[in-house]
Amino acid sequence: MKNKLLKRMLLPLAMLLGSFIYAQSVSGVVSDASGPVPGVNIIVKGTSKGAQTDFDGKYSIDGVDANATIVYSFLGYKTQEVAVSGRSTINITLEEDAAQLDEVVVVGYGSTTKKEITSAVTKVSEEEFNRGTINDPAELLQGKVAGLSIYNKGGNPNEDAVIRLRGISTVGSNSSPLIVVDGVIGASLNNVDPNDIADMTVLKDGSAAAIYGSRGSSGVIIVTTKRGKPGTAQVSYNGSVAMATIYNTIDRLDGNQFAAAGGTDLGSRTNWLDLVTRNGISTINNVAISGGFDRTNFRVSTNFRDAQGILDKSGFKQFNTRLQTSTTMLDDKLKIDFNASYTNRDSEFGFNEALRYAILYNPTAPVYGVDSPYPYNADPYGGYFETLGLFDSFNPVSIINQNTNMGSRNEFTYYANLKYSLTDDIQLNTLYSEQASKYTNKEYYKTTSLFRGSATSPTRKGLARLTTGENKFKLFEFYGDYDVDASDKLKLKFTAGYSWQEETYYKYFLSAGDFPNDSLNYLDALEWSQDQINSGQIEINSDRSPEQRIIAFFGRFNATFDDAIYFNASLRREGATKLGENNRWGNFPSFGLGVDLNKYLQLDNVDLLKVRLGYGVTGSLPSEFGLAQSGYGPSGNLLSSVPNRQPNPDLKWEEKAETNLGFEFNAGRLSATLDLYTRKVSDFILGQKIDPADLPPDTIFISDYQIRNSGQLTTKGFELGLNYDIVKRDDFTYNSGIILSSYSTTLDSFDQTTLRGNLGAPGQNDTNVVLVAPGEKIGQIYGAVWTGEVVNGSQVFADVNGDGNTDASQTSQIIGNAIDADGDGVIDGDLTKLGNGIPDFELGWTHALKYKNWDVNALFRGAFGHSLVNNFRVFYEPRVGSQSSYNFVNTKYADPAITNAKFSSLYVEKADFFKLDNISVGYTFDIAENNKYLKDIRLSLSAQNLFTITGYTGADPEPSLVDRGAVDNGNFLGGTTDPLAPGIDRRYNYFSSTTITFGVNVNF
Amino acid sequence: MKNIFKLLLMCSALLAVSACTNLDETLVGEVGSQFNGEEPDFASFNGGGAGPSDAVSSAFNQLRESGSANHGGYFGVQSVSTDEMAVTQKGGDWYDGGIWLDIHRHTYGPSNGPIRDTWGAQYAAIGACNTALGAGDLDANQTAQVKALRAFFYYRLLDLYGRVKIITEAGGDVPQSTRAQVFNFVENELLDALGIVNVVGMDLSTSPLGTAQMPYRINQFAALGLLAKLYLNAEVYTGIARYEEASVAAGYVVDNGGYVLCSDGCSVPNEGKRPSVASDPEILEGYAAVFAPNNQDNPEIIWSIAYDNVSGLNMNFAQMTLHYSSQFTWNLQEQPWNGYSALEDFYNSYDSADKRKTANFIVGPQLDYEGSVILDYAATGDDLALDYTVEINELEPNASRKGGARLGKFSFRQGQRNDMDNDYPIIRLGDMYLIRAEADARVAGDWNVALTDVNTIRARADVPALTSLTADEFLAERGREMFMEVTRRQDLIRFGKYNDSWWEKTASAPFRNVFPIPQEQIDASNGTLTQNPGY
Repeated sequence: MKNKLLKRMLLPLAMLLGSFIYAQSVSGVVSDASGPVPGVNIIVKGTSKGAQTDFDGKYSIDGVDANATIVYSFLGYKTQEVAVSGRSTINITLEEDAAQLDEVVVVGYGSTTKKEITSAVTKVSEEEFNRGTINDPAELLQGKVAGLSIYNKGGNPNEDAVIRLRGISTVGSNSSPLIVVDGVIGASLNNVDPNDIADMTVLKDGSAAAIYGSRGSSGVIIVTTKRGKPGTAQVSYNGSVAMATIYNTIDRLDGNQFAAAGGTDLGSRTNWLDLVTRNGISTINNVAISGGFDRTNFRVSTNFRDAQGILDKSGFKQFNTRLQTSTTMLDDKLKIDFNASYTNRDSEFGFNEALRYAILYNPTAPVYGVDSPYPYNADPYGGYFETLGLFDSFNPVSIINQNTNMGSRNEFTYYANLKYSLTDDIQLNTLYSEQASKYTNKEYYKTTSLFRGSATSPTRKGLARLTTGENKFKLFEFYGDYDVDASDKLKLKFTAGYSWQEETYYKYFLSAGDFPNDSLNYLDALEWSQDQINSGQIEINSDRSPEQRIIAFFGRFNATFDDAIYFNASLRREGATKLGENNRWGNFPSFGLGVDLNKYLQLDNVDLLKVRLGYGVTGSLPSEFGLAQSGYGPSGNLLSSVPNRQPNPDLKWEEKAETNLGFEFNAGRLSATLDLYTRKVSDFILGQKIDPADLPPDTIFISDYQIRNSGQLTTKGFELGLNYDIVKRDDFTYNSGIILSSYSTTLDSFDQTTLRGNLGAPGQNDTNVVLVAPGEKIGQIYGAVWTGEVVNGSQVFADVNGDGNTDASQTSQIIGNAIDADGDGVIDGDLTKLGNGIPDFELGWTHALKYKNWDVNALFRGAFGHSLVNNFRVFYEPRVGSQSSYNFVNTKYADPAITNAKFSSLYVEKADFFKLDNISVGYTFDIAENNKYLKDIRLSLSAQNLFTITGYTGADPEPSLVDRGAVDNGNFLGGTTDPLAPGIDRRYNYFSSTTITFGVNVNF
Repeated sequence: MKNIFKLLLMCSALLAVSACTNLDETLVGEVGSQFNGEEPDFASFNGGGAGPSDAVSSAFNQLRESGSANHGGYFGVQSVSTDEMAVTQKGGDWYDGGIWLDIHRHTYGPSNGPIRDTWGAQYAAIGACNTALGAGDLDANQTAQVKALRAFFYYRLLDLYGRVKIITEAGGDVPQSTRAQVFNFVENELLDALGIVNVVGMDLSTSPLGTAQMPYRINQFAALGLLAKLYLNAEVYTGIARYEEASVAAGYVVDNGGYVLCSDGCSVPNEGKRPSVASDPEILEGYAAVFAPNNQDNPEIIWSIAYDNVSGLNMNFAQMTLHYSSQFTWNLQEQPWNGYSALEDFYNSYDSADKRKTANFIVGPQLDYEGSVILDYAATGDDLALDYTVEINELEPNASRKGGARLGKFSFRQGQRNDMDNDYPIIRLGDMYLIRAEADARVAGDWNVALTDVNTIRARADVPALTSLTADEFLAERGREMFMEVTRRQDLIRFGKYNDSWWEKTASAPFRNVFPIPQEQIDASNGTLTQNPGY
């Protein structure tokens, strides 16, 4: 740094003088060792005035003070600051920066450089993103950021991935990281096309996220979209076509094996899975126009996606467009950014149930009733055969062919940011944004569909369901920055601001049945529903949220000393409508300290040796409203109310306090980062049964259910990142990086010891398998231990406590089981820990290779140490004699001697896996410099999920981080997810697929 | 200078935002306070509506929410723990973590789901009663009704768990009561509701409870009936016998209530009849009519829970007991669950001529609506016909899907939904006869004293009068009459037989006579609730 130049800032006189000096224009060429560099960021220091170099590395800026300083920065090069000193032409040669310490990283309410960061922050740029057909932007980051777990089990194109940063951060539902898209805090990732993203920055620890307040309590992912560059307009096209094929399924008996195993032979031989799956073809087309003129630049992009899943009739068609503009006014003191985006997605959700029933349906059953071996009237069932008289059994082909399940969603977001440079040192920012998302889901079940269509009902056949709703989100923020260069060595920055956000939604639901025939899809002719004349059959529901607001005042202080010691501290005072009236406001502090030790140690060949320590507290809230207020629902006769929630005026913020210790090391081709953290979530908010007698005096008791500050949990973990340039030559580079992370979460205090995660029907109701107990880790799968012996068809369980008899009942004696929760010193039952649903280690291993015009990228990904309860096996692997019309699952563990189904250690499998997540090969054509029409063309071929190495016998060994509960007999899956019951691989999960993608990129 | 300017600007910008710190939350999609509507005409409903609605209706509605006639709660806990019925494990079906096997074999523990849920449901109901009483806008009759209703829920807790907390108003902790204290509370509340201090020599002329016959509400006779049930079991609850009071209370209801046993000539149309099946009777008469879907006007019912398929949900006996394919006999709107069945010995305790036998059970080959044999495509072996056998091969793990007589007492209606229409009697005259008979016999020390009342009951069932009676014979008679009316567990305990072995249940320890207090409640109570001995 040119410290001498900073002295100027201390002298108001110089400032005054400066303003009298004649403003001029400056131009020049920026190049590196190999020639001109396009796209270099150029900023006149202390202003928002700036430019970017064009394709020839040229730039020009008007109205520059003769004694101003110009800052040149570009990714991968060291930032340079150059005094104008009256010159009108300044040519710059950039130096490569292996460690990229001057890389700009966007953090809360501003940006900083990589070297100044005092907290665990990872930035992933476009060239590092995962390749292939990726519909969910989160999946671009899968395996790239240590501590960020992203899993979309099975890869259903209509389902968003579950994202967790450093594991469970709250037991309420708000466990996904906060998404910030171009400054829109709390934006929806569904409104960003993966093609439009320039980079994503993940703020992992509390001190980084604290400035975002409660919304950042589960971490923050900051998405920056691509921007226009000044100069001539540029048009680019990306297109791809992909094919997905089913990768793995559940081993089961075929018709002959089933008949031989004693199954009811209905005479046919049917491979149900083949009949309901397909090769899914997906196409993506993206066109973007960007450019700039004068003081304005822009980018407009349009994206079309047509994605097909491997399940018949599952997929979506999506249109997305995004506009991004930026302009400066008022002598460059005012910079205005305006973004808008719109997404329309028409989905065909299909029926995951078809996959489930394809596994369990009798493989000797015919598809159509005419092929039935017994007298069978197929007319009421649309001609399909159905195993009447069997619980939870539906002809999968009939499910798919007779019924529809579709939806559409429209999202619109706009954002405006005004940035005003009051003086060289003071900048004011005001931003306002709104998001609106509307959706409609429609389901119709034919009168001849046994599955949900009630084909067996004497009168009420056919069912239509409509769900529609809208979510709205408004955000207003105002903040100012004040930079002070206190001395040669000390630079200070103050930020203070105010934030206001409001969220509302409404939702309407209608379910009506009893339709005359199937001549129409009665979704659009509901007036035919005879439910209207049969009271109590129409299901209607409407719901509107109050205006849910979070308001905050915040301040932050940054100090940089000697360009080697970095310190920041922030305080946020935040209030929320949902909390109890006595405790709506909370104060959340944070601080961070970073020291570049190498500046003082001056080790040979070491570019950076940084130690950093951060501590931050954030608040956290569940997504439901009315948490603290009393609530009543309608009684059965709708003439009076029944209480469903006891008010809690003392409900206060759930608090997350996180301490992070980090080390960063760069030496030549090697860079390494290590983070160690501990995080304590106290007073977590959860609805609980209460003892009415525990309420304070004078409280009116209305319900034994109350939402309370219920307990505390602690997570400890580490994250390691290594990166090495194995080969670094002009025409051949090869870089490899490894990330490794591990954490475990312990429930410190909670006033209940219980099992969660009910496996469901048939026969496994009240079989809860995941332990929730104070002092215990989250995610422990709990059950009886099979000794390997079978007596009379039943598994013999181990006498775990050694008391001479075996009590392996999954429900009745959990207290005092292996954990002796009742503390009486007696271990009462014979259940024990059988595994954990959360991985011990998660690994990402990237490879980036460039040779001349070729590039190869690959990601290997793995998770180790987690277990899954394989539900297909629990239910259908035992050769249950009394209902021999379910197919038998037949994995390597199958023991035909077991003839009744009881959950045990036999069905808990280690699910460690290592997979080639994606690999792509690209070739960039040489285009003549003087080609008027084309700038470059790149072709690529990618493969996703080519192979997975695992011992798990289910369809997909990826962890189940949350549980969505059991569902059976064609009932509807509930919307709630339980983060306290990970590790259950449910029967409704989609099956994993392999996708091959061919892509073209053309820049005009 | 610069600093001041900066501050000024920031503050003015902040003030420009109205409602800068407004954090009020106004619920718009949810009711935030209690609501009681009015239904105009009490007399006009015929069982198709849930009953009168007024300030106490939300308390009475809790009768349906508290597990009285559905799966997984009070009914199951009271009934499956006895020799009346079981939920057998049918291979992969109905194991459900062993909860029902545990309940039937008396190996239940404090985390058993139905035992846990039954506790919660009773307290939720008590909460609704407390709210109604606390609102302060009830008249004397309504107050007396709600107090009696609350006493009924405490009577259930007393009977199941013994030592519970008596919460009568909002807020403030109370210590756990002994079983005797809970008994005294229930007794005093009922006496108080009746406006008397003792049933012996009582004068009800100034009772706040009336004498009008109100099937879904509590009149004098309902409250006395409840007292009779309480006194009958007093010795079990407190160690002190109160049979004299039991006899007086039950006798008063029999003699003064104006209720009559529903026997010959007392009938309703058979709503379960298949037109093309000639053997289906046109009408249900006598005992069968008391529990039929259209039983709302039955003269024997003193107090009942109003169930219907629209607004009085939660009676699910058809779903709970019938085989999946039995859907086609009654044209049920949804597939039943094939869970509960009666034990062979219990079924066989009925004379073949006993009209209660055909009323209470469904056995034999099953025909569909058209009269054709129902086929079960998922059946094992070659015999696809659905035929309910009286015999059950085993309790677990591979009980036959067709095994066991099915629970048919609350008979089914053609085209019925999951939620049935039959009203469920809490107090009915037949029970009062038997309580008087037993109480008198116990006071006299001679079971023959019970013969008159027992023979009254037997006459209605078309079985010959007895000339002598033993304790065991009395218990069997009471069992036959009160099947599915949740008295069997009490009766077995009172007669010292609850801990006996039967069928696939071995003898159990006497501490099993009260259920464990749910662990979840003990956890939530910070040590103020202690577990019952033995658990």
